[in-house]
Amino acid sequence: MSSSDAAVVEKAAAEKTAAEKAAVGKAVVEKTAVEMNVHVRYFAAAADAAGSEDEMILMNAGSTLGELKAELTRRYGPDMEQVVRTGSFLVDKVVRRDLDWPVSSQVDVLPPFAGG
Amino acid sequence: MQQWTALITAEPIDEAAVRRAVEAPESGALVLFCGVVRNHDGGRNVLSLDYRAHPDAQDIMAETVRGVMESSGLTIAAAHRVGELAIGDIALYAAVAAAHRKEAFDACAEVVEQIKLTVPIWKRQHYVGGISEWVGL
Repeated sequence: MSSSDAAVVEKAAAEKTAAEKAAVGKAVVEKTAVEMNVHVRYFAAAADAAGSEDEMILMNAGSTLGELKAELTRRYGPDMEQVVRTGSFLVDKVVRRDLDWPVSSQVDVLPPFAGG
Repeated sequence: MQQWTALITAEPIDEAAVRRAVEAPESGALVLFCGVVRNHDGGRNVLSLDYRAHPDAQDIMAETVRGVMESSGLTIAAAHRVGELAIGDIALYAAVAAAHRKEAFDACAEVVEQIKLTVPIWKRQHYVGGISEWVGL
């Protein structure tokens, strides 16, 4: 193999590596475009049901509060089901009960209020 | 000018401070409401309770109070205590000032209703016999 042949092979290898990197990069971009990490915070009875104060939950982009509610019930069973059945969510500082409302990067799970 | 409209506090509520927040020379009626910890609920004997509030609860309560101030045109302030409360402690204190009593009574009832409905505060009751439960589930 001549030195010029070796240079061609090296160049081809470099191009292949670049193409692979680009493909991987594209896959990462596509993945972040369809999925999002939601920081879910639990309060009062919700924290008792989840056994923690907060966690990250990976959800499809555009997921709704209804889908989060279903996921929480799947994870934590009847105790959490009881909380979210009559509870609400705090999304971007606003209390939401509409289950078609989209999740954002942080959602708080609020048991039914009992102030006063 | 009113200094504040809503307060969430871990300390005993300063009743005079809530009253001062709404008092004005043109007011002929001052209606005050105390929500007090009682020793029974749903037929069971209550020993004490814990109130917990969401970190944004004070902002949400201020918004709720402002809403009733706008709809009634009156001056209102309210304070909610959190933490461990004993029987007889004041959990919620609301004050409404108006020129005449009727509108002050109505607005006070309304603001208390709205606070209970809209402010993210939770209550855990401790019953005789060592059982504790979150209220409202």
